[in-house]
Amino acid sequence: MESGIRPLGREKIWLWILLAPTLFGLVFSAFGALLATLGLSFTEWDLFTPPKWVGLNNYIMLFTDKRFLRALTNTAQFAALYVPGVVIISLFVAVLMNRSIRGISLYRTMYYLPVVTSAVATALVWNLIYGKDTGVLNYILKQFGLQPVCWLCTDRAMLSVVIVNIWGAIGEGMIIFLAGLTAIPREYYEASEMDGANRFQQFFRITLPLITPSIFFQTLISTINAFQAFDYIYMLTRRGQGDSSIPVVVFSIYRNAWHFNKYGVASAQAIELTLIVAALMVIYLWAEKRFVVYE
Amino acid sequence: MKRLALFFALVLVLSMVLNACAGGPQTTAPTQPSPTTAQAEATAPVSTGKAELRMMMWGAPEELAIWKQIVADFQANNPEITVNVEVSEWEAYWTKLKTLLAAGTPPDIFAIDAPYYLDYQTRGVLLNLQPYLDAEPNLLDDVYPQTLKAYQTPEGYFGLPRDFQTIVVFYNKDMFDAAGVPYPSPDWTYDDFRATAKALTLDKDKDGVIDQYGYATDLWDMELFWSEVIWAFGGDIISPDHTQTLIGSPEARKAWRFIYDMMFVDKSMPDTTTAAQYGGDLFQAGKAAMTTIGHWAVPGYAEAGLNFDVVQMPAGPAGRATSVNSAGFVIAKNTKYPDAAWKFLKFVISTPAQTRLAELGFACPVLKSVAESPAFLDQPIKINHKVFLDSLEFARMKPVFKGYDEWASVIGDGMAPIWAGEEADLDAVLDEIIPQADDVLKQYNP
Repeated sequence: MESGIRPLGREKIWLWILLAPTLFGLVFSAFGALLATLGLSFTEWDLFTPPKWVGLNNYIMLFTDKRFLRALTNTAQFAALYVPGVVIISLFVAVLMNRSIRGISLYRTMYYLPVVTSAVATALVWNLIYGKDTGVLNYILKQFGLQPVCWLCTDRAMLSVVIVNIWGAIGEGMIIFLAGLTAIPREYYEASEMDGANRFQQFFRITLPLITPSIFFQTLISTINAFQAFDYIYMLTRRGQGDSSIPVVVFSIYRNAWHFNKYGVASAQAIELTLIVAALMVIYLWAEKRFVVYE
Repeated sequence: MKRLALFFALVLVLSMVLNACAGGPQTTAPTQPSPTTAQAEATAPVSTGKAELRMMMWGAPEELAIWKQIVADFQANNPEITVNVEVSEWEAYWTKLKTLLAAGTPPDIFAIDAPYYLDYQTRGVLLNLQPYLDAEPNLLDDVYPQTLKAYQTPEGYFGLPRDFQTIVVFYNKDMFDAAGVPYPSPDWTYDDFRATAKALTLDKDKDGVIDQYGYATDLWDMELFWSEVIWAFGGDIISPDHTQTLIGSPEARKAWRFIYDMMFVDKSMPDTTTAAQYGGDLFQAGKAAMTTIGHWAVPGYAEAGLNFDVVQMPAGPAGRATSVNSAGFVIAKNTKYPDAAWKFLKFVISTPAQTRLAELGFACPVLKSVAESPAFLDQPIKINHKVFLDSLEFARMKPVFKGYDEWASVIGDGMAPIWAGEEADLDAVLDEIIPQADDVLKQYNP
C-alpha cells in the first residue's frame, strides 16, 4: 500500500483537478444520500407531510418486524452461498483462462458477456431454462428418465437464484483474478519446475498465496454485491406488488418506501444493512492483515 | 496514509451500498401550502391569462395518442390553456409521482387509482374540488354513481373518476367449440362455473402435463377473483370502518375453499408456479379457456388473435357479485392554475372526451350516455360490451382506504405459498395473516 509514486509540486494541483469530478459526485450524491438516509431513519415520513422525529423507534421495530427478519435471513443465506461461489468459481475460470491458446480472448469475452448484458433480459432466459413444465433443464432431466424439478419453488428457489447470480458475476471476478495472475512473475514457476513441483503444488504454494490480494478484493466486492442483489432475484421470484418468494432486504427497503410510504422505516433498514456490511468489512480488514500477502 | 486510504475505501463501500438501496431519497422538504392560500386559490375568479398544465398518467403508448387528441379537442375551445400529457408505465408512474410531490413540483393534474386515492387525499396534497362542484350542481348527474363513491370524502370531492372497470368472465369460444361445451349462460352459478372449468381442462397428449386449463387468474390482488367469490358466498373483505379484516368468516372460508379446490382438487386452474411459465396470463397465451378480468384486457386479447366473448360473473349462494374500480384524475393542491386544471378535468367527463375514451377501448366511460351509446357498445372489437355496464347492477366497490397497499400485501404475500402449491393448510394461513392484516389497519386508524 505504501508503494507507488508520490505526487510532487505542481502534480498535486493536477491530482486534485483530475479527482474533482469524482469527488464532487461522491460528496454531493453519495454522501448526501447517506446523510439524508441516516437523518430520515430517525423519522416517520410519508414523503408528503413533514417528517416527524421518532428517535430510535424505526430501529427498535425492526427487531420485531417478521417480514424484515425474514428478508434479513434470506439475504444472509444468499450471501453465504453467493460469496464463496463467486470467488472460487471465478478464480477457477481465471486459472483456466490464464494461458495462451488459440481464441482465448473469445472465451474470455464469453465469460464476461453476462456482466454487460441486461440482467432483466438474461433473467427472462433463465426463466425459460428453469420452467417447470416447459423448461430446458427439466427437458434434459426427462431425457435421462428423471423426475422434473420445480426449480423456482420456494424450497429450491434460493439455490436456483444463487446459481444465476454467480453465473452473472463470474466475468467480473475473472477479470480481477486474471489481473492478479498475470502479475505473478514467471520466474517463480520456472524455478519451482526445476525443483520438481507439480501443477497442484505450484497452484497451492505459489499462485494461491500470491493472489491473496485479488481474493481479498473479490471477496469484499462480492459481499457488497450479495447484500445489494436485486435484479435477478426480482425477475426470477417476483409476485404481485413488489413481493417475491424469497424477499431479500433490498426488496423490503424498496417496498416499505415506494409501496407503503414508510420512508423512515425504509431508511432504517438501509442503514441497518449498511452497518451489517460495515461490520463484515471490519472483519475482512482484520483478516487482510493476517492472511493477505503483499509482495 | 494507509489507514486513511482504508477509511476512504470503507466509506466509499458504504455509500455504494446505501446508494443502491435508498434509490436516492429526496432531501428536499415537501412544501406545504397553507390551507388558506389553497382555499383562496380554489375560489379565485377565473383567470384570463395563459395557463400551461402538466398532466401525468399511467398507461400504454396507445393511450398517449388518444389523450393528445382529447387535449387537442379541449384546446380548440380553450386556446389559452396548454396541456402537456406524460404517460408512464404503471410501476414507474407511482415512483415518479411520489418523487415529484415530495419535491414540491407535482404535475398539475394526475391520474389516480381509486384504492390509492385516500393515501394522497388524507396527506393533504390534493385540491378540494367541492367549491367548483357546488358552483355546478348538475355536473355529475350523468355519471354512474357507483364510480363516484370512491372519491367522496367528508370534506367533499378531491378527484373525479374518468373511467371504470367491472370484472367479468372472458371465455375462449374456440376452446369451448372444440370441447363441445356450450357457452356460459348469464344465469350461471359457481357450480356451473366449476363444472365448465373442469370440462375444459385437457391433457391432449396424455403426458401427465395439462395442456389447457379451464380457468386461470392472478390471485395476488383481490380484484380479479377472490373478492368476487367471497361476496358471492356471503362473506365480506373489510369492515365499513376499515378496522377489521373479514376474510376469515365462515362464508369467506367457503369461498377460499372453493378456489383452493378448483386449483388443487379439480386442477382446472394452474397454480402460480405453473402460470409463471406462460408469462402469467394463460388466457392471453391461449392456454386457458376462461379468465376473469376487466375491460382493459380487451385490446390485448384481440391483438393476440383470440376468438372470445364475455359473460357476467356466476352467482354464489348469496347471489351475484363483481368488483368495480375506477381510475380518476386529481389536481395538485399547490397547482398554479387551479381554474384551468378544473376546466380540463370537467372536459374529461364531458361527452366528446368520454367518447374518445370509449373508442380507445381500454375502459368503460363513466358518463352513462356515452357508455350506452354506440361509441362504447359498438366498438371495432365485437364482444358483448354491455355485460361490463350491466354488471354494475350487482357490483361492489373495490375497498378504498388508507394503507390499502400495505394491508393488501400482508394478505397477498400471506396467501402466496398456498397459490404456489407449497402450503396446503388454508385455515392455518388465514388464521396467521388476518391478525397481521388487522395490525396494519390499526397503524392507519389509531
